[in-house]
Amino acid sequence: MYPIVLLSFFGIVTLFLGFSKSKNILLPATLLFLIIALAGNFLEWNKGPLLYFYDMLRVDNVTLAFNGIILLSAFMIFAISGGFQDNPDSEPAEYFGLMLFSLVGALMMVGFQHLIMLFIGVEILSVAMYVLTGSNKRNLRSNEAALKYFLMGAFATGFMLFGITLLYGATGSFKLEQIQGFASNMQVGSESYILYAGLLLLLIGMLFKVSAAPFHFWTPDVYEGAPTIFTTFMSTVVKTAGFAALFRLLSGSFTGVYGFWWIVIAAIAVLTLLVGNIGATSQNSFKRMLAYSGISHAGYLLIALTALSKPSQNAIIFYSLAYSLSTICAFGVLMLVSKEKTIGGQPNEYYDAFNGLAKQNPLLAFVLTVSMLSLAGIPLTAGFWGKFFIFTSAAERGIIWITVIAVLMSTVGIYYYFRVIISSYLKEGDLVKIRVAPFYKVILVLATFLTILFGLAPGIFEGLI
Amino acid sequence: MSASLLILIPLLPLIGFLINGIGFKTIPKGAVGIIGTLAVVASFVISVMTFNDFVASGSQPLVVPLFEWITVGDLRIPFSFQIDQLSLLMLMIITGVGSLIHIYSIGYMHHDEGFGKFFAYLNLFLFFMLLLVLGSNYVIMFIGWEGVGLCSYLLIGFWNKNTNYNNTARKAFIMNRVGDLGFLLGIFTIIATFGSVEYTEVFAQASSFSLEDPVIVTICLFLFIGAMGKSAQIPLYTWLPDAMAGPTPVSALIHAATMVTAGIYMVIRSNVLYSLAPSALEIVGIIGGLTAIFAASIGLLQNDIKKVLAYSTVSQLGYMFMGLGAMAYSASMFHVITHAFFKALLFLGAGSVIHAMSDEQDIRNMGGLRKKLPITFITFLIATIAIAGIPPFAGFFSKDEILAHVFEHNKLLWVIGVIGSLMTSFYMFRLLFLTFFGNFRGTHEQEHHLHESPASMTIPLVILAVLSAVGGFIGVPEALHGSHHLAEFMSPLYDAARQANPAGFEPTTLSHSEEYLLMGVSVAVALISAVVAYVMYVQKASVPAPDSAEKSGLQRLVYNKYYVDELYDNVFVKSTKTLSNILYSFGEFFIDLFVNAAVRLTSFSAKMLRKTQTGSTGDYVFAMVLGIVAILFWKLLL
Amino acid sequence: MISDFGYILLFIISGLVLLGVMLLVAKFLRPDNPNEEKLSTYESGEDPMGNAQIQFNIRFYIVALIFVLFEVELLFLFPWAVVFGNEELIAQTNGAWGWFAMAEMTVFIGILILGLAYAWAKGYLDWVRPKQQIPEIKSPVPADMYKQVNDRYGSK
Repeated sequence: MYPIVLLSFFGIVTLFLGFSKSKNILLPATLLFLIIALAGNFLEWNKGPLLYFYDMLRVDNVTLAFNGIILLSAFMIFAISGGFQDNPDSEPAEYFGLMLFSLVGALMMVGFQHLIMLFIGVEILSVAMYVLTGSNKRNLRSNEAALKYFLMGAFATGFMLFGITLLYGATGSFKLEQIQGFASNMQVGSESYILYAGLLLLLIGMLFKVSAAPFHFWTPDVYEGAPTIFTTFMSTVVKTAGFAALFRLLSGSFTGVYGFWWIVIAAIAVLTLLVGNIGATSQNSFKRMLAYSGISHAGYLLIALTALSKPSQNAIIFYSLAYSLSTICAFGVLMLVSKEKTIGGQPNEYYDAFNGLAKQNPLLAFVLTVSMLSLAGIPLTAGFWGKFFIFTSAAERGIIWITVIAVLMSTVGIYYYFRVIISSYLKEGDLVKIRVAPFYKVILVLATFLTILFGLAPGIFEGLI
Repeated sequence: MSASLLILIPLLPLIGFLINGIGFKTIPKGAVGIIGTLAVVASFVISVMTFNDFVASGSQPLVVPLFEWITVGDLRIPFSFQIDQLSLLMLMIITGVGSLIHIYSIGYMHHDEGFGKFFAYLNLFLFFMLLLVLGSNYVIMFIGWEGVGLCSYLLIGFWNKNTNYNNTARKAFIMNRVGDLGFLLGIFTIIATFGSVEYTEVFAQASSFSLEDPVIVTICLFLFIGAMGKSAQIPLYTWLPDAMAGPTPVSALIHAATMVTAGIYMVIRSNVLYSLAPSALEIVGIIGGLTAIFAASIGLLQNDIKKVLAYSTVSQLGYMFMGLGAMAYSASMFHVITHAFFKALLFLGAGSVIHAMSDEQDIRNMGGLRKKLPITFITFLIATIAIAGIPPFAGFFSKDEILAHVFEHNKLLWVIGVIGSLMTSFYMFRLLFLTFFGNFRGTHEQEHHLHESPASMTIPLVILAVLSAVGGFIGVPEALHGSHHLAEFMSPLYDAARQANPAGFEPTTLSHSEEYLLMGVSVAVALISAVVAYVMYVQKASVPAPDSAEKSGLQRLVYNKYYVDELYDNVFVKSTKTLSNILYSFGEFFIDLFVNAAVRLTSFSAKMLRKTQTGSTGDYVFAMVLGIVAILFWKLLL
Repeated sequence: MISDFGYILLFIISGLVLLGVMLLVAKFLRPDNPNEEKLSTYESGEDPMGNAQIQFNIRFYIVALIFVLFEVELLFLFPWAVVFGNEELIAQTNGAWGWFAMAEMTVFIGILILGLAYAWAKGYLDWVRPKQQIPEIKSPVPADMYKQVNDRYGSK
């Protein structure tokens, strides 16, 4: 609960900090805010389930773990943004302010106990993201992406709201527990159909937010069009929050009708895996490939949802962390590299930008390699254990076939993840000096270190939860 | 005993490795040696403290959990260390002998370009070795096991500009992998049978199995295959003599004192399982006996100073396994300890000789070195007496104890053991006499260079010589009115095994007079061979013929190591290559067909998928609506 | 007995029916003499020209946004005022209820005021934001030279 209040306040403060003459104060200040929020988050560790805001928000260790991942990712992203110093057109205070506000939305989604809270969280998060997507005002693609995102997002939100309405109609409550109570003891009848329809529509809305197929169409365009730093934010924070919310929703309200919905999620998971992995193979742009990779990872996480058990909950937490760390590394390196190599004034985000990276900057090449290995799920990286936990949780539920498909698809993943490793190590490129700020380096190395650490000893993290 | 102190034991060498490994280009040479050595000495000091604490607190074994490591379903593998008699003894040997060898290496490797690299590897090796003996479950042991294999590979091929050395390093690695496969299968079987890999849990559950349970026998045999590879037993022994390509301190530390005894450690560690499977132990004993005599016979005719010692090591390891076969676990451990002293000493002495002889290793070109290298000579002499088994030096007690147990167990194996010990004494004295007695046979230049090694090399020699001389007194047999401290100390380790198989642990039925007789036989045999060697190589001053000379059939057979390498080459290497060629030409086609089809399918569907991504919001929304309608239709109306 | 949803259904049906009936009645009652002038879109007497989908000045949106902000605030104030004035609650809590509600609304409005202040400080409330463009010409001739020339010849 503390980080929600703190971040709301800090967001306003950040906006007003933007009036100060010195722009250099913004980045340290926001980083400090995030550290305070992180500390505040873990104040409630092990305090047991606490309910806030008229039982609309629930705080327990699972919430705190998700919050921790979100805030940690945000911290890293803020840090590598470098305070947007290099672009004179940028409005750092507004960007940071919006990101802080969107974090509030994300935290609400993680901890919601009431569908209205979920809706508010989703909207706070999304609206901020629409704006940030289009923040590069002079770039046509950025504008297009923002508009697309907004239009489709609004469309999905409509479905979600309709779903919530129907659920209210069926059960007479917005509260997860009461919906759970109703759904568990429900007789088949007209109300059950309303509940089913509401559940499906709500799920559709949420699945849009986590870019599951066939609601994924916005993802590649938006990820590619948005400034890379906000793409990173979208693909880590938003996705983690989305899955936390989905898990909470399904485990908190709909375990009673598991038989009804699991096959929907399973089918969508398979479709998402196919679309994400196969789509990624034909991309030439690294950034767009990462967008598809984001879709495929949503597919893996959906598998964990179909299992819906205690191990799968831990699997989602672990996977989100592993995925966030690697994605931040990948985008971080992309930002550095594409800035130095431009095509027609625009950053070069194609694979060939990475040619010869190992010679230009071995550290960046290493960071990139580890993150790609982790995303591909190669052992000794955190990504491997993330996938492993998800697959075992599904197998424990007896859903073997989906695991088989997922494993097949993850072999497809190796193809496109290794392409960039091959580019950076085996291909020749011009020797461009890539400057990396010390703090940037620290963040990348830290994320890489954590990826390897959790890859060597996933038990460390599991011991924490 | 605090856990943090315990963690430091393996951690210090790891830190040493990281410092030297990352900075070996920048850190000055002097500092490299000091860092590397300090790390090990400090870990030795902590080991001693741990040992004292352990004894003072009543010798209670204890498991120190560090963190949860892997949890998969019901299988829980924690990362934890186990402290008991066995691991403490191994700790003392590893860090103690390790420290001496590090000090020695400062002098020995001083002129080498890869000085920093060498110390980094050596520290890394110690880290893995300590992990191997400290781990409280088979998986940690396996990590250590693989880690020491890796370091062994790196150090055998340390002078990696020589292709032959690289090949021998590869040979060692591959041979070990064969053994590791057995070990791994053993671990899997353990997991399948007991659902755990923690020693305490496995052994507690194993006690309820009946004697000769087929599962236990299988596990024991699998584990023993692992031990065969690492401890160089027939048929996986050929890598060890070749491993002498590495620097001499490496041979002393890895290929004599520590790593190769890992197999014995493993068997003693699993004594509960082995005690339940006497038939597996029988195989262990037979393999050990065969290796002992086989390797010793090859050693008789070798002319390379390190090769002789290498075959001697293989042979001594054979003795240890023979002891294990007779369920004389403590006796084998005893031999591990004494062997660590005198074999390390022999290797270091050989290193000192090689150092003095400007990298000459052929004993036919040596001779008369005792005046020029007095300290090396005296220490080498002590070690030779110790290994030959002449009382009261260390080797006598341990070897005699093994032979006494074997005698009780199987008379034929005992005969083999005595013959082996005859050969041992002969080739060791042959080596000694050819190297240090007679006239110098090397080139003039070499003679000019001859010098005693620096203090950093001789001090470890002297310390090890003292240990080789008196080390045997920790286990004086009852027949000689001594008390067997080591056996008493280790006795609690076998409590579970004793319950499971009481018959195997009955006290000896040999009378004192019988024991005296056995001792007499082995001492007499050793002395006779020594005298024969003296007559042959000092009085008659004969020198082994050069390679070009004609040899009799048997001599040629032995000299060429029974053509085992060639046999392996023909049977395994060639057939594997043929098979892989066949598979390459046939299999490649089918595999390509499959792979290409998969690639085609993927890229075709990717192309199709690309078309859906039109970029128009209208299309996207339309696709979404189609999806929504499909879902609603499917779930609500169907 | 009809359920709550039944009422809603009734409302929907009756709404549709009413609309339909009114349009139908009007259809029959009104005279029908169309001409071009009558058929054209009513645009406050202006002549409708061109496409209706033209770009509006972005400032309209900002002003509209700020307007919506305060309209929402106003909408929120009404229900708040009703609960705030709940005499029973005030009596039960010995007046503390009132202060609590007051404080909550102060925080709420305070945040909105901060938003307004931010927009104001950023200058979004000024309809016209002329940006003075000071032309800078890089000329090899120094500026004071012109002045001298002007001084010399300007007076004549």
